[in-house]
Amino acid sequence: MEEFNIILMADDDADDRFLVQAAFEDNDIHHEMMFFEDGEQLLEHLNATPIEGKTRFILLDLNMPKKDGREVLRALKSDKMLSKIPVIVFSTSKAPDDILSSYELGANSYVVKPSSYEHLKEVVKKISDFWLNTAITP
Amino acid sequence: MENLRQHPTYMNISPERHFLKRSLSEEQLSWAIRFLFGISVFLIVILSISYHSINQELIFYSEKVDHTHEVLDNVQDIRTRLYQVTYYGRGYLVMIDSVNRRNMLERLASVPHRIDYLSELTQDSPTQHAKVDSLRHYFALYEKSVVNFGMSDPAKLDLSSKLTLLRNGTSKTENLNEILDRIASVENKLMQERIISRDNYKQQIFRFNWVIMGVALAFLLCSFLLLERELKRTKGYRIELENQVENLNRSNAELEQFAYVASHDLQEPLRKIRSFADLLKTKNKDNLTEESKQIVGKIIKSASRMQLLIDDLLAFSRSIDSPREIEQVDLNDILRDVRANIKGKMQEHNADIRSDTLPTVTGYGNQLTQLFENILSNSLKYCKPGLCPEIVITSSEISGSSIAGIRESQLEDIFHQIVIKDNGIGFRNEYAEKIFVIFQRLHGQDDYQGSGIGLAICRKVVANHNGYIMADGEEGKGARFYIYLPQNSSTV
Repeated sequence: MEEFNIILMADDDADDRFLVQAAFEDNDIHHEMMFFEDGEQLLEHLNATPIEGKTRFILLDLNMPKKDGREVLRALKSDKMLSKIPVIVFSTSKAPDDILSSYELGANSYVVKPSSYEHLKEVVKKISDFWLNTAITP
Repeated sequence: MENLRQHPTYMNISPERHFLKRSLSEEQLSWAIRFLFGISVFLIVILSISYHSINQELIFYSEKVDHTHEVLDNVQDIRTRLYQVTYYGRGYLVMIDSVNRRNMLERLASVPHRIDYLSELTQDSPTQHAKVDSLRHYFALYEKSVVNFGMSDPAKLDLSSKLTLLRNGTSKTENLNEILDRIASVENKLMQERIISRDNYKQQIFRFNWVIMGVALAFLLCSFLLLERELKRTKGYRIELENQVENLNRSNAELEQFAYVASHDLQEPLRKIRSFADLLKTKNKDNLTEESKQIVGKIIKSASRMQLLIDDLLAFSRSIDSPREIEQVDLNDILRDVRANIKGKMQEHNADIRSDTLPTVTGYGNQLTQLFENILSNSLKYCKPGLCPEIVITSSEISGSSIAGIRESQLEDIFHQIVIKDNGIGFRNEYAEKIFVIFQRLHGQDDYQGSGIGLAICRKVVANHNGYIMADGEEGKGARFYIYLPQNSSTV
């Protein structure tokens, strides 16, 4: 089971990547994490790696250069194998349109980026608890 | 022209000024048009009356002319008969036969009827009538002598007596003919005069009618031009209005854009400030001095406050926009939902909310929920310490004219008046307007939390429903909020 524990995150904001990584560490969740600066990098990685089953979940920002979160979602959910990976949209936006369209595109969850580190830690813990320990994925 | 095209503002302003300079007020214009139409109608009536009178007059003159012709015909007839009497009389004198005698007497006997008829015809003219009388008089003399002649036997007369008889007869007939001539000539003269005066009258009346028709047409033309100008002006206003609507739509779109920027781009750095300050506090807990920790705490607090303000600003900007779908909203359902939403706060304060049966209004359910929730939350928040909040909601109907500061167009509308009264800390009445202004607060941040957006949103929501919201309060006793929502759905 050990090798199936990679968590992917695509976010163009280095600060957010840093904070999320810090939150995982502070929660003592020591899974392998891979970070991408845009949707294109993420898709390139997933397409180049045949062992898609290794990825436990993807944290996906919506607004990114090159390929944004929506395009990534569309690409992932139209791929037979990649569509099995849970995608958690992780965005600043609270706009109902963004939330609705994300779910319509097949997002498994939508989480608004918390506005404090304390809250972020909590959210990261909850996400990990659920997607790593509670939910059963294919 | 090329330059003008490049300056749309010039193109817009110029016709506007042109209109303002020349235009009458709406009232004046309406009266002017009424006046012009009134005058035109009046003139047309005069024209019709005038034509009618011409007709009557022409008929009158034609009758007169016919009458004259009849008189003349009759005069001619009498003349002929007298001539025949003379003719047959001479025949009798020469041939002494009964046929000539009978014919003479017959013709003679037929004349008085003619004279009577002539007398009848000339009754309208005393001078002519007098002439007919004298005709009758001379005819009587003539008749007498002719009858005497008829009774006599001409065979017994000698030549000189016959000649005397002939001379006398001729002279009497000439007398009569002279009178007849005079009657005829007067009648002819009368006819000439009548024809001339008829023609004059006709000419005059036609001239008069042309003038009246011209004036009426001029007035009609004036009112047409006024109407046309008014139509053009209205068109100008409509175009201006359309432009303004377009501008409004644009500024609304810009506002939405602003809200988006506020929600994303402004919140992003703020979130970072909070998060990194947090991180600093937790990760470097042991390295920070007490003072540093306090400073970091202040950074976090300020950032949180700003976060709240931005969130509220966003909520406010969302309330500006009215959604497309209008529905029938039962305010009792809304109140039930709001009670559920604030259940926690109600239990916390041990609050009691009592309400009349509320009306159903046409509007936006979500916004009305927010309206009631904001006001009720407000009442709970500003409750008097140590006193259980009591909120009473009453509903009634009220005419627009009894609402202060209402728009003129709504004066006659009927409104639902919903009054929400609490027993909280209240406020001084001089702040009754201030509390609805965005980010205006009557209390310090440390006493009561919040950004001061709740009632501003309420005012926005009510405005979206073409309604009004007002408040009055008494410090230490409580506040009352008055919500007026129009009853007529078409006004939303």
